[in-house]
Amino acid sequence: MSTPRGPEPGRTALRILVVDDEAIVRDSLLAWFRQDGHQVEVAASGKEALHLAAAARHDIALLDIKMPGMDGLELQQRLAAACPDLTIVLMTAYASVESAVKAMKAGAYDYIIKPFDPDDLSALIRRAAEHRSLRAENLRLKRSLDEVAAPPPLLGTSAAMRRVLELVHTVAASDSTVLVTGESGTGKELVARAIHAASPRRYNPLVVVNCGALSEGILESELFGHEAGAFTGARARHKGKFEAAEGGTAFLDEIGEVSPKVQVELLRVLEEKVVTRLGGTAPVPVDFRVVAATNRNLQEAVREGRFREDLFWRLNVFTIELPSLRERPEDVPLLAEHFLSRFSQAMSRKAMALSPATLEALRSYPWPGNVRELQNAVERAVVVSHGPVIEPDDLPLHVTGAPARPGPGSLALAEKAHVQSVLDAAGWNISRAARILEVDRVTLYNKIKRYELKKPS
Amino acid sequence: MKAIELLPLGGLAAASAQDLAARLSRHVVVPCRVAAAPAWEARALPGREQLDADALLGDLEARASREAVLVGLTDRDIAIPIFTFVFGRARLGGGAALVSLARLDPVFYGLPPDPAHTARRAEVEVRHELGHLAGLAHCPDGSCLMSFAGNVERVDARGPLFCRSCREALPAWLRPPSEMS
Repeated sequence: MSTPRGPEPGRTALRILVVDDEAIVRDSLLAWFRQDGHQVEVAASGKEALHLAAAARHDIALLDIKMPGMDGLELQQRLAAACPDLTIVLMTAYASVESAVKAMKAGAYDYIIKPFDPDDLSALIRRAAEHRSLRAENLRLKRSLDEVAAPPPLLGTSAAMRRVLELVHTVAASDSTVLVTGESGTGKELVARAIHAASPRRYNPLVVVNCGALSEGILESELFGHEAGAFTGARARHKGKFEAAEGGTAFLDEIGEVSPKVQVELLRVLEEKVVTRLGGTAPVPVDFRVVAATNRNLQEAVREGRFREDLFWRLNVFTIELPSLRERPEDVPLLAEHFLSRFSQAMSRKAMALSPATLEALRSYPWPGNVRELQNAVERAVVVSHGPVIEPDDLPLHVTGAPARPGPGSLALAEKAHVQSVLDAAGWNISRAARILEVDRVTLYNKIKRYELKKPS
Repeated sequence: MKAIELLPLGGLAAASAQDLAARLSRHVVVPCRVAAAPAWEARALPGREQLDADALLGDLEARASREAVLVGLTDRDIAIPIFTFVFGRARLGGGAALVSLARLDPVFYGLPPDPAHTARRAEVEVRHELGHLAGLAHCPDGSCLMSFAGNVERVDARGPLFCRSCREALPAWLRPPSEMS
């Protein structure tokens, strides 16, 4: 008997395992699938099938349900556990709805009744092959997405940061609302991104809303969307951030800044999972997970009547508190090296290093602006440094001139000094300074106004 | 060189077999002839009215020789246990094939008789089974003679020729006369 030719152009040969206690079925399917150019192995029992599956990879398995000893349903479960990639089709001569339901619930790809219509069997094998191919491609794409979309790492070996990382991984798997608290610049958005990236929602959008940067009216429109004509300038329907986050995560930063009116609307959305666009009447169902962040003391705000207690409890399901950088000085060198590597690469500088004196200065400074301030300091140092080694002179004056121990002074004072320092370093170029401070231009103008900063004449 | 012998089984009209032999002769270089119908036992599948295709094929293979491949022709419906029906049956590289005209006839589907259409379908199906005897597997090209046909519409969709890839794999005895001259 001549050997069948290999796979035809445009067709991939499948590795098929046929399990049936009847020889006529095994022999017929063996011949049939070989005629189609596939590689076929046959087994007369579940036990034999498990041995064959352990010895070689198969793409598709056809299992007879009614077999002595181990029946097809049990074999299917064992094969599914041992070979998760295997596509399993169950065969039976008895058109039983009950066994069909059992089979599909247990994860079988399909179910076919003997004797087969040749067309049906051929179509089934073709569909099963396409299903395998799509599943494999889906896995490949997801792996690529995971690599490309991986958020910047949450760095830190301190006990406090290890605890944060544990909490992130614990809560990521659930759909619980998370409230991230911590001073400004501690990395609250990074935590939100890390939670999203580790969650089942990671292949859907992560939508970020800075609640503190928007006026009440604009925040409402951003969050809930609007219909055409809802207000002057609303020419077309606009979907809000909650709709945009469908299936994914909505990160509400500076949640403590939200006005009482928007707090009410927000509570309704979180409780009922529907949004009504401004100017609209029909509620739109939404599905997203909420991560909120604040640097304010929300419980104090609740006591003072500035924040709704019911909204607080709706948000405060799972809290992650980020330590300030001064509470984990042992992480400063690691973070500084990370930023140094990033910025020196971005600025095409050759390998750079931090001198021991620089590291000591960095460790000693209390970092009221936390990680963001450290990042900015390192970026500035890379810009101004003449050589490959960062010396203390390359750091902002307030960093090297600050006392070794945290001294008196408000956060506002520290922020004012820092903003002034960055503006001076950027030559009062607002765009450049805003970029270094990682705020938008409006926010920077507000701070210049608030602190009455002036450009040196 | 092999010849192709058509064996009408179970009362199939000899004229049908002669017509088929003439059609096949246009496509193969080897002689195509109708052999005398052998005595045969029509064995049905248990519980079904269809003939056991594998049993019949076994009988035919027992008669095959190196000098000729045999193609049994019947107007009875045939099947194998795992399938509701088959149009034909042959083992890859085997010495004999079996073809049923039952489901190739429009009358089977409640349509008016059309002998020419039935003859064309029979020719296509016999050439398909001969391809299996030559070692060809099913072809994904729907217009190729070696494409799988699970229903009669797919038989009609097969063209009159093998695709280029299948044609190149044909043995000499199955090649058309034009290629051998």
